[in-house]
Amino acid sequence: MAGQARYLDPAIIARLGTIDLKARAIVEGFLTGLHRSPYKGFSVEFAEYRQYLPGDDLATLDWKVFARSDKHFVKKYEEETNLTCHLLIDVSGSMGYGSGEITKLQYASYLTGALAYLMHRQRDSFGLIAFDDSISALLPASARSGHLRTLLLALERLEIGARTNVAKPLHDLAAAVRKRGMVVLVSDLLDEPANVLDGLKHFRYRGTDVIVFHILDPYELKFPFEQAARFRDMETAEEVMAVPDSIRQDYIDRIQERIAFYRRELGLAGIDYCQLDTSQPLELGLMSYLMTRKRVL
Amino acid sequence: MGGISFLSPLFLIGALAAAVPILLHLFHRKTEVVIDFPAVSLLKRAPVQQHRRRKLRELLLLALRVAALLLLALSFARPYLAGASAPSSQPLTVIAVDTSMSMTAPGQMDRAREAASRAASAAPGSHALALIGFGDAATVIVEPTTDRSAIAAAIAQLSAHATGTRFRTALARASELVGTREGHVVVVTDLQQSGWESNDDGGLPDGVGLDVISVPPPTGNLAITSAERRDRRIVASIQNYSEGEVRAPVRLIAGGREIAKVDVTMAARGAADAELIGSLPAGGDAEVRVDDAAGYQPDNVRKVILDPAPAVPIAVVVADPTGSTGGLYVERALKVAGNGREFDVDVRDGREVPRWTEAELSRIAAMFVLGTRTLDRNGRETVRNYLTRGGQVFLAMGPGVDPGTLGDVLGTNVVFEEAPVRTPGATMIASDGRHPIFRPFLNPSGALGDVQVEQHRRLKDQTDRTVLARFSGGDAALTEQAAGAGRLIVFTSDLDNEWSRFPLNAAFVPFAVETARYLTKAHRAPSAAATVDARESNPAATTVEEFTNAIERTTRAGLLEAKNAARDIEDRQRWWQIGLVIMLVALAGEALVGRRAT
Repeated sequence: MAGQARYLDPAIIARLGTIDLKARAIVEGFLTGLHRSPYKGFSVEFAEYRQYLPGDDLATLDWKVFARSDKHFVKKYEEETNLTCHLLIDVSGSMGYGSGEITKLQYASYLTGALAYLMHRQRDSFGLIAFDDSISALLPASARSGHLRTLLLALERLEIGARTNVAKPLHDLAAAVRKRGMVVLVSDLLDEPANVLDGLKHFRYRGTDVIVFHILDPYELKFPFEQAARFRDMETAEEVMAVPDSIRQDYIDRIQERIAFYRRELGLAGIDYCQLDTSQPLELGLMSYLMTRKRVL
Repeated sequence: MGGISFLSPLFLIGALAAAVPILLHLFHRKTEVVIDFPAVSLLKRAPVQQHRRRKLRELLLLALRVAALLLLALSFARPYLAGASAPSSQPLTVIAVDTSMSMTAPGQMDRAREAASRAASAAPGSHALALIGFGDAATVIVEPTTDRSAIAAAIAQLSAHATGTRFRTALARASELVGTREGHVVVVTDLQQSGWESNDDGGLPDGVGLDVISVPPPTGNLAITSAERRDRRIVASIQNYSEGEVRAPVRLIAGGREIAKVDVTMAARGAADAELIGSLPAGGDAEVRVDDAAGYQPDNVRKVILDPAPAVPIAVVVADPTGSTGGLYVERALKVAGNGREFDVDVRDGREVPRWTEAELSRIAAMFVLGTRTLDRNGRETVRNYLTRGGQVFLAMGPGVDPGTLGDVLGTNVVFEEAPVRTPGATMIASDGRHPIFRPFLNPSGALGDVQVEQHRRLKDQTDRTVLARFSGGDAALTEQAAGAGRLIVFTSDLDNEWSRFPLNAAFVPFAVETARYLTKAHRAPSAAATVDARESNPAATTVEEFTNAIERTTRAGLLEAKNAARDIEDRQRWWQIGLVIMLVALAGEALVGRRAT
């Protein structure tokens, strides 16, 4: 089917070899699909003509314009974009959960890798920050050609950390970022919503555009358990005995309420929000990113 | 105090099944599934089942399951509330103490009481205790109980009486008390030989333990075996039961003063007559006494009636005084006694009973009730008052008895099946052969066994009633019970030759006379004949081994009567049905709680 051909299942992506290959497969497949989509016009785009000034590279002279107008102009390209993107990936304990073939962290890694690959193709500068309750890995933003590979390797080596504290790394990073850019947060946001919101607003306050990918497992959304069990928190090890039938609806209401909260509050703060579950195609994330990027540039 | 007994106690073993859920609960707890989950913080605020509540629920489930199993076992064991004060399944030690005349020698009862107390103290703690005093008859002084102080108090009150000794009767009573449970019998006795001489039934069931504690008899005894008036003399026979010659004074006492005295010499184990001549009063009685400080005391005295005793008034209440059904046979039989002078028989139609004045009633020594159909309310009340105030009533439950009003007549319930039971050719067998009523039948000549009964009423209620005789089918024929302050003897057939040919049998006259004598015992002037059995004066004893060997070991089949009675009680109470209903409720509760817990 066309849909299946267009979108790659995260589980299938997971079976591919390195994360480099995965990111490429995701992005190339996505771009192939975009030929018939309204999102055209990116790649190494022509930007403007500028009068030649001494010191400009002669290779950039447009000789056809010189032949027509007898004036020297040089061509400017989009590769000189100043978009710096910080990819923030949550590696807290809760991200290790996966009811299917992949965990939330794997899904987040593929998405982050794909975004990095896309940025690389667009000559954007990008960096990586992995965090749990503090920053556990940091790769400064760069647009160098070998930077993508470094980032993908870093992604591949990510390990599950401790408790989630989204707010702290966000505040730290917001204070450190001096150049207007873009922040992409990939997390399950299992932290106090108000703290998460404060951290993200900090970026907006400093003029940084933010896109949040809220990654959840399908089981977290539907709570399909049947047997009474002791549920152990993956971060705090706290246990709660529960009978799923009797609490399912209440739980679903609460998780949906939280999603609705993020959607509403982040929207009001001018932050793009995209909730994904690990069974959904990664292209949905890429599409959200591109829409945000289009608005930013 | 009532106790719970069980018709089928073996089913109680099934209660062990209750241990299964307990063991499962303790040792085989289901391993709870532990699921790692990231959003537990969201679960926590949901109305989840907390661990403590779950634990409580598990305990509730356990309790319901255990209760259901226990109730099932209890229901199958068919429980019923019996009159006994200790559960009939509890092991029992019966202490049977000889209280016959042969225990009246100085110090003998003290030693018997001490031995009984020691036996009570030595009884295992898990055993209930019961106390029987026995002589001619065996009386349960303390029903099976766990209250040892009650036993100790009763032992302290034991005393000997001027009665004979019947070991088999005591053993039979002890066997009845033991029933089907684990039992032990302790007999405290002087091992008197004559105690085995009666031909009544009685033994101990297999498996019932026996201890015999001997209270040695005196080495000798003097007894006045007879005393009679011969014109102006009193002749008394004195028996010497010792191994040596004895010389002892014999006195005649009348009106509180000694009239005559003679010294009598008796050879070893021999007898001698004492001729006492003196100025005898015209009437009343006199007393012959022999000095015998070391022997039994009651046989040292013999009363002699100096004038003929007045006739004892007996009332016969019938439904219809006409024809042969009007108490004719009873009247004629009683008039035979004492050459017609012993009883004054008054046959009354039931309709005339209310006319009896209190004074007339108080003079009636015994009342034979052969029919109640013509008793009106006042008549029934009159008979009831007579009985409950200490009267002696013989009731023949023939066709003249109205079952519907019998409770009003007696003031106590005698429960029997409505329709009479047809048992053509059924004979009567004495269950308690040495009961005074059966005295003439002690040496069976077949007289009682020839009694033919065509119909009788089947008693359903056996409680508080002693069965004196049975029909050959096993149903009670003659029973005795207390009713208020009085005594009630029930014959379950008739005495008017309608349901039974008993009145035509040779045994009828002695039976009727002895019954009347037994009932009027308190109204009769004491006579020489009313003293103790002469055999009781003989201190010759067996050894413990001989005593033990003489006991017949029986199977427990003889307990059929008790079982039937228990079955009747259980059938009326039907606790098993209540148990099953509660069990079903417990199971429903278990299902409900269990469903919520999974």
